[in-house]
Amino acid sequence: MTDFKTVGKPVSRIDGLDKVSGAAQYVDDLDFGPGLLHAAIVESPFAHALIKKIDISQALKVPGVVKVVTGEDFPYTFGLYMKDRFIFARDRVRFVGEQVAAVVARDARTAQKAARLVKVDYEELPPVLDLAEALKEKATLVHPDLKNYGRCPWFFPRPDTNIAHWRKTRKGDIEAGFKDAEVILEDTYTVPRYAHCAIEPHVIVGLYDMAGRLTLWSSSQSPYTQRHVFAEALAPLGLTHKDIRVVTPYVGGGFGGKAGVSMEIIGAALAIAVRGRPVKVRCTRAQEFYNTYQRQGVIARIKLGVKKDGTITALEHTMHWDAGGYVEYGANVVNAAGLSATGPYRVPNLKIDSVCVYTNLPPGGPYRGFGYSEFHFGLESHITRIAKMIGMDPVEFRRKNAIREGDTLAYGAKMNPNGLHEAIDRVAQEIEWGRKETSSDPEKAIGKGFALFWKAPAMPPNASSAAFIKFNEDASLHLMVSGMEIGQGYLTVMAQIASEILTVPMEKIRVETPDTDRNAYEWQTVGSHITWSCGNAVKAAAMDVRDKLFEVVHRAHGVDKKMLYLEEETVKCRGRSDFAIPLKDFVINGIQTPHGNFLGGPILGSGMFMPEFTSALSDPETSQGGHPNVHYTVGAAAATVEIDRRTGKMKILKAVLAVDAGKAINPDLVKGQITGGLLQGIATVLYEDIRYDLKGRLLNPNFTDYKIPTAKDVPVEIVPIVVEVPQPDGPFGARGVGEHTMIPAAPIIANALEDALGLRLKTLPLTAEKIALELNQISYDDVKGHYMGLCFLGKPNEYDFKMRAK
Amino acid sequence: MKISMQLNGELRDVEVDPRDILLDVLREKLGIKSPKIGCEKGDCGACTILMNGKTVRSCLILAVEADGQEIVTVEGIGRQGMTPLQKAFVQHNSFQCGFCAPGMTLSATELLSRIPHPTHEQIREALAGNLCRCTGYTPIVDAVYEASRKNGKRTTGKRKI
Amino acid sequence: MAITHEFEYLRPATLGKALKALAKYGRKAKVLAGGTDLVGLLNDEILQPDAVIDIKAIEELRALEFKNGKLQIGALTTFSELLESDEVRRKFPVIAEMAGWVASLGIRNRATMAGNICSAVPCCDSGPILLLYDALIHAKSRDEKRKIPIAQWFAGPRKTVLKNKEIVTGLSMPEWDIPHAACFVKLRRYEGEDLAQASVAVLVDKANNYRIAYGSVGPKPFRGAAVEALLTGKPLNEALLKKAVELARLEIQPITDIRSTKEYRSHMTGVMLERGLRAAVSRLAGKGPAYGASLI
Repeated sequence: MTDFKTVGKPVSRIDGLDKVSGAAQYVDDLDFGPGLLHAAIVESPFAHALIKKIDISQALKVPGVVKVVTGEDFPYTFGLYMKDRFIFARDRVRFVGEQVAAVVARDARTAQKAARLVKVDYEELPPVLDLAEALKEKATLVHPDLKNYGRCPWFFPRPDTNIAHWRKTRKGDIEAGFKDAEVILEDTYTVPRYAHCAIEPHVIVGLYDMAGRLTLWSSSQSPYTQRHVFAEALAPLGLTHKDIRVVTPYVGGGFGGKAGVSMEIIGAALAIAVRGRPVKVRCTRAQEFYNTYQRQGVIARIKLGVKKDGTITALEHTMHWDAGGYVEYGANVVNAAGLSATGPYRVPNLKIDSVCVYTNLPPGGPYRGFGYSEFHFGLESHITRIAKMIGMDPVEFRRKNAIREGDTLAYGAKMNPNGLHEAIDRVAQEIEWGRKETSSDPEKAIGKGFALFWKAPAMPPNASSAAFIKFNEDASLHLMVSGMEIGQGYLTVMAQIASEILTVPMEKIRVETPDTDRNAYEWQTVGSHITWSCGNAVKAAAMDVRDKLFEVVHRAHGVDKKMLYLEEETVKCRGRSDFAIPLKDFVINGIQTPHGNFLGGPILGSGMFMPEFTSALSDPETSQGGHPNVHYTVGAAAATVEIDRRTGKMKILKAVLAVDAGKAINPDLVKGQITGGLLQGIATVLYEDIRYDLKGRLLNPNFTDYKIPTAKDVPVEIVPIVVEVPQPDGPFGARGVGEHTMIPAAPIIANALEDALGLRLKTLPLTAEKIALELNQISYDDVKGHYMGLCFLGKPNEYDFKMRAK
Repeated sequence: MKISMQLNGELRDVEVDPRDILLDVLREKLGIKSPKIGCEKGDCGACTILMNGKTVRSCLILAVEADGQEIVTVEGIGRQGMTPLQKAFVQHNSFQCGFCAPGMTLSATELLSRIPHPTHEQIREALAGNLCRCTGYTPIVDAVYEASRKNGKRTTGKRKI
Repeated sequence: MAITHEFEYLRPATLGKALKALAKYGRKAKVLAGGTDLVGLLNDEILQPDAVIDIKAIEELRALEFKNGKLQIGALTTFSELLESDEVRRKFPVIAEMAGWVASLGIRNRATMAGNICSAVPCCDSGPILLLYDALIHAKSRDEKRKIPIAQWFAGPRKTVLKNKEIVTGLSMPEWDIPHAACFVKLRRYEGEDLAQASVAVLVDKANNYRIAYGSVGPKPFRGAAVEALLTGKPLNEALLKKAVELARLEIQPITDIRSTKEYRSHMTGVMLERGLRAAVSRLAGKGPAYGASLI
């Protein structure tokens, strides 16, 4: 194995000092001078209503108000994968909190005051808040115009229903598979909505200058994709890509919530409305909850058939997703789950239906894990249950069925190299699987749970990355890329890759945050694909630079380029120990010849990467024929939990997670993803509990009642394990791990709960309250009152999965 | 009305409306951007500042209440170079997105001034009001612990609760 | 987000001036101490006062002292000050125990106990503890000065018997003169900062006197009269405990809201009473969990 200098080393983050010193600037920290205008949004109080009339006259009279904007000013649709939204709701509102108008004023207070004076007449429509209601025959339609919406080619909506997309995956012979099975287990699992809760709320400042350039400073994970969505939506105004510039400084957390375009479209529109003056739109914490994206809720039916020796023969996995009022991004979550809901197992006979359903709740969208956290809860609970039914150890069952390189995936392509079996073994060993532990406190029980996980980036087949590198006089360099540093350590990892190839030390590399006018293209920072994809681009750019360095040296000194190599910022030559040309001597000013002239000049390099083997074209009835996913990252996790039988309170004594990073470019940052991701996952199991009332109003859009963990709510011990089976097309073998660390949290805890107390809970979250009540023979569903965390009103086991649409 | 405060060691005068929130005045009128707007309800701790040596939520304080008070933010603590605490944060890769870092840094600073050698439990208690969504807190707590062990003479933590 | 409603900000230097201002504005004035509740309500426009009277300049409201057998807590005393006071920790350790569960440090540094009871939310942490000790609320207006027993203080959710022109100057409570121990148990959705889903405070002394108080399981904090009657005069035993738990569940009136179902509140009130009583009794015997340790 090659010995690397920087890659694979736990170097300190290059943004560390910025962040601890307060120097790091986020969008809201940028100064725009006294001309900055502020916006306040007029929101729908109804989940579903027709807009009859909007009267802005009173608001306009407030001194300090500059402009009041409504849907009539911007009659344009937008959306990433499906154009199903207007910039401001026009004829119809589809969730409580949807933007209907906005007031721009000289200060925030005036804007807020005037927004209350905008009078909107609504005609209420029956809200579709229940999946069963949404899917019944002659259901109220959330989008009567669905058939006319522009969309990407891999979505299959059913016009005149509330089905926005239906991903069907079929493989083998499902009936024969169940006939072969000796034991079949069928059950329903439900996962509610969740909120990302990045600590920085979404904020955007827009300036449409008098020369016709629209600049947006945006807290975004996707500057280039935002620019593209803005350009598409605003094309009727004559704006083109070159006229729009998106600048993204540091971002205070994303988790998927700042991917795509949600509230940012308001900023773009308002900037145009008040041309010549910068305008800021900043979400309140409440808006952050209901008008950016939420993780979609899902109810899933799993039917699994196995032989008594543990071989899986068939899997039927049906998922109905509560996607909310708009699915322009969320439908792709549904799609991703529909292609991969086998989990990391060999399943010969398969039927997956992943159905994206419009409802009158806030729009669903991308959230760390992108559908996989949701289906892993049911699937990995089910795997443990069926293993126990046939008397087999759940870890042994997983070993037997775990996918291997070359196995055929659900959609027909082959599985990539992976270290799943190593991950299983190492986690089982670390958690001391099979050793029963008892608590010293007689009121408490201890249990262990185990789960596998996998995930592929969900991206269009031609999603790509690019990078520029430019040297400075002292051979320090700037790396200009457009992935986002959302905390994962992306800047550091990109610098490590460039450092490795160019032998320039880390402290001499600055990685710029994105500016679409300056930095190279990046599709989006989502899907845990950026280390792999942009890493490849940076590696290519560094190699391009290296070639150019060698070319100059070759021209100036006549040495064979093939004999040149880089070491400690110096060009050296094999076989000539005296040959050494420091980079700082020539990367800007070139190399002087005996004649006094100079050869070369400022060294610049570029690189790009696009996976050229992927395709989203496949049979809509089976999903066979394409190659929608580039590769899967896999792993295993386990937890030991201690539960108080009386209070239901759970303490996680130990959590172990092994993820196959291919090659950990920076092991310390991979471990950071594991500790952070696991806790975020654990929070969705134990604490976070979103509530709507029966009118579709979100009841806890705040941290007072939507509890994300504090420093006191962490597992006693977390053991991160990094497995490294190289990804052949990854930079140094690397593949992404960012989302994966969150995915197994729910099943490891649900399985540990059952192990401890014999209690199997199938609806998230597994709060202390729910556990204690169940232990007292009280079903939480019977007593929870008129609160909905899930988009159906009845009990999960009474939910009818029969689909009427074809 | 006009108020004046000792801000990061400087006497600063500023004109405010009684309705102005201290956090907004610091950010918009005094150019102090390290306290962040996270929830505006006192739940997240991103707006934490030190007021007369104690951590407080600047989103729950009227600017007029700061008249005559002494305020310190992260801008004011690294003037003579990074503190051992800040160095430990960098070494431990403690922060990811960094948005909670200023508040977290001030909470830890207050803790170390009160209890120079805190236990892990005391550190977690002191930081519990500063929400971080990225890190799982472990690398933050570990860095505070390590910084405190380099914190000169060792004394035990003051008390249990 | 900004406060849009205009108000006058007053910062009187003396109590007299504060009372004068209060007399002038009456119910259109709001008294500001720590502000951790008030500023939020102003921000949400739930309160729209004409005047905000900041009492933090009034030195005489700052006192925290033990005098003449009584603990005096000034209106400006913060939870952090209660938590750090050696006097409180020695003589009323359960107050420190309760203060330690209030919100988080950045709030405790600012929030006052007087403000906590003036807000009078059913989940207020101070209520049950003050009920244990028969605390008196000291209120003053320009015309009168009165001491209101805590049992009469709460009038309902967010309602107290404080008159418009009155200001709370402080609280006082006598030291329990028989050797005793107490316990405050707070049910939270997790270990971090949270409002109580339910709380139980217990006190027991060497003479087998018992005091019980509940929070968040009724419209206001209240004493557990039935359980007290059952236990008083008797040493605690398993049969009594069982009966006490049953009785407690009968004397509370929990509701279902976003923080908990009434069923869980009811179940947990029993569990907390049982564990709280056990802890207090063993503390009285010089053993048991340290004050501040979590029992649930």
